[in-house]
Amino acid sequence: MLLENMQMAFHAIRANKMRSFLTMLGIIIGIGSVISIVSIGDTMRSLFAGLYKDVGLTQTYVSIGYWIDDVRESDYFTMDELDRIREVFGSRIAYMDSSAYLSGEARAGENSVKFEFSGVDYNYQQVQPVRLLYGRYLNEGDVKGRRGNAVMEAAGAERLFGTQNAVGKTFRTDVYGTVTEFTVVGVYEREMNAFQKLMTGSGSDTGQAFIPWTLLTWPNDRFYQCHLFADESMTAAELDRFYRELTYYVAKIKNRNPEDLYVYTATEEMNQLDSIMGGLSAAVGGIAAISLLVGGIGIMNIMLVSVTERTREIGIRKALGATTRDVMIQFLTESAILSACGGIIGILLGGGAVVLGGFLLGLEVVVKPSVVVLAVTFSAAVGVFFGMYPASKAAKADPIEALRYE
Amino acid sequence: MKRFGALKKRPEPWETDELIRLENLVKIYDMGALKVLGLKQINLTIRRGEFVAVMGQSGSGKSTLMNILGCLDRPTSGHYYLDGADTGEMTAGELSAVRNRKIGFVFQSFNLIPRTSALKNVELPMTYGRRPKKERRERAMELLARVGLETRWSHMPNELSGGQRQRVAIARALANEPPLILADEPTGNLDTAASEEIMELFSGLHDEGVTVVVVTHEEEIAAFTGRIIRFRDGEIISDETNPCPRRKGGGERCC
Repeated sequence: MLLENMQMAFHAIRANKMRSFLTMLGIIIGIGSVISIVSIGDTMRSLFAGLYKDVGLTQTYVSIGYWIDDVRESDYFTMDELDRIREVFGSRIAYMDSSAYLSGEARAGENSVKFEFSGVDYNYQQVQPVRLLYGRYLNEGDVKGRRGNAVMEAAGAERLFGTQNAVGKTFRTDVYGTVTEFTVVGVYEREMNAFQKLMTGSGSDTGQAFIPWTLLTWPNDRFYQCHLFADESMTAAELDRFYRELTYYVAKIKNRNPEDLYVYTATEEMNQLDSIMGGLSAAVGGIAAISLLVGGIGIMNIMLVSVTERTREIGIRKALGATTRDVMIQFLTESAILSACGGIIGILLGGGAVVLGGFLLGLEVVVKPSVVVLAVTFSAAVGVFFGMYPASKAAKADPIEALRYE
Repeated sequence: MKRFGALKKRPEPWETDELIRLENLVKIYDMGALKVLGLKQINLTIRRGEFVAVMGQSGSGKSTLMNILGCLDRPTSGHYYLDGADTGEMTAGELSAVRNRKIGFVFQSFNLIPRTSALKNVELPMTYGRRPKKERRERAMELLARVGLETRWSHMPNELSGGQRQRVAIARALANEPPLILADEPTGNLDTAASEEIMELFSGLHDEGVTVVVVTHEEEIAAFTGRIIRFRDGEIISDETNPCPRRKGGGERCC
C-alpha cells in the first residue's frame, strides 16, 4: 500500500509539474542554503585546522604578561635560562628559540629589497620543513658562532640578486642600528596551499629569510619571549600537563606568579577559533533554516488548494472503500515526497555550488554526509508536518458532499 | 480479516435470500432552523439476484435512499441490514470496508479518477481491498475484457466516450465481486444507443445472479428491470414486479 501511495503521489506531482516545482522551490532554496552554509563553515574549519597543523599545533609562546606594568630586566630570558628549560623538559620540547624577528631593507649592490628575517635555531627545519633548492640550511656552528649566514626564500633571492641560486652572495642590512653583512648559504622554496595563498595575498613583495636567532638578542643579549614546539607525539593530557609544568617552572626561575605569565598555545587558539566558527555557521545555518519554514508553509498552501481541487476524487475514493486513514496517508505521502524531492534537489544545488566554488578556488571542500542525511530527513518531516492539516481536511471530507462537488 | 468481523454479526446471512432489508427507515435533513424530511418510515426488502429500478421525481427521496443503501450516509432512525449485518452499528472504518466489499457504485457522471488509466481505475477498489498487485492487474484486465474495453486499458478517462467511461465504471464496480451493484442514473449522461448497451450489461449481470439496483427517472430504462419501486415525497407509492423486462434490441423474454 505504501508503494501504491508513493506511485499515486508521483502521479499527482507529475500531473502538475510547474506547480509542483514552484512548491518545491521554497524547500529547494531552504535546504540548499542550509547545506551550502554549513558546508562552507565546515570547509573553513578544516582549512583552519590544516593551517594550524602547518603552523604547528604544539607551538607555544611564553613571556611576561602584557598586562604587567613593572616589567623587570629579569623578566627577559637569557640564553642560559633557555638552556635550563631545555634541560628540564628534555625531549618534551621538540624545538626552542626566541621567536625574534626583524624587518628591514636588504641591500646588495644597487638593489634594495624589503625583507623579513626570522631568528631560528639550526633544527627549525625539523618542525617547519622547507624545501631547499640550493645550498644548505643553517647549522649548529652558524647559530652557536653567531655567524652572519642566511637561508633565503627563492622569490626574495630572485628579487635581490636577480637569480634564485644566490648561494655565496652577500647582502647588508641594519640589525638594531648596526649595519651587518650576511652571506646566503641556502635558498628554499615555500610550498603554500591555495588557502594560505589566499590569506597571504600574492601581491606581497617582501622577501623572507632565516638567520641565526643568536644574532637577534635585544636588549643586552636577552630575549623577550621563549618560543617552542612541544613534542607532537604527546597526548592531549600530556600536553596539558606539560604546559602547566612549563608555566610553573618559568614562573619559579623568574620569581613571578604563574598568573603573571602570558602563555600562548596554538592548540588553544585553534580550539577557540574552531568553536567561534562552529557557532557562527550554526547561527547562520539556523537563519537559513527559517526559509525552510517558509517553504513548508508553501507546501501546506498548495496541498490545501490541491485537496479542494480534488474533492471529487476524494469522494470517489471514499465511495470505492478508501478509509479516512487511506486518504490521509495518500495526501501525507504526497506532501512528504514533494518536500523530500525539494530537499534532494536543494542538496544537489547547495552541495554542488560549494563543490564548484571549492574547485574554482582550488580548495578541498567538506560536505558532511550527516548534514545531508539530516537535511533530507528534516525536509521530509517538514512535508509531513505541513501536510498534516490539508491531509486531515481531505480525509474528513463527507463522501456525499465530495461526490457532488463540481 | 479482522476489520470485516462486524459484517458477520448475524449468523446466517447466506442462508436467507435477503440482501437488503430496511426497517422503519427515516432520514431527516437538519438544515439549522428547517428540518427536511428525506425519507418517511421506509420498509423495503430486496432479495439476492433481483434487478430493481427505483423511480421518482427529483426530491422524491430516491437519491437519499441511494446514499443510505450505499453506506455513504446514515439513517436518522430505523435499521438498514445489508447482507445480514446492521449497518447502523458499524464504525466509519467498517462502513468503508462494506463499500469496498459489498457494494459496487455506478454513477451518472461516471466518476472515474481523472488522469488515471482505465486499468488503474478498475484496480482501485482492489487496491483499497489490499489485494496483491498481480492479482489486481489480471482481474482488472478480465473485467475490462468483459465490458469490451480490453484494448483501451491504457486510455485515460478523457480519451474515452461516455458509454466507454460508464463501461469502465461498471468494470470497476465489479472489481471486488460485490453482492450489490448500485447504479445512480447510470444512463443520465448517455445517448439512447449507449444507454441500451449499458442496461444490457446490467441485464447480463442480473442473469449471472448479481443484485442490481438502478435509480432512474426514465420509464424506458426502468423497463429493463424486473421490479419497479416508485417514490414520491419520501414515501414508496408503488412497488410492482415487471413481468417482462426489456432486452436490448427489443427482444422480450417472457412475453
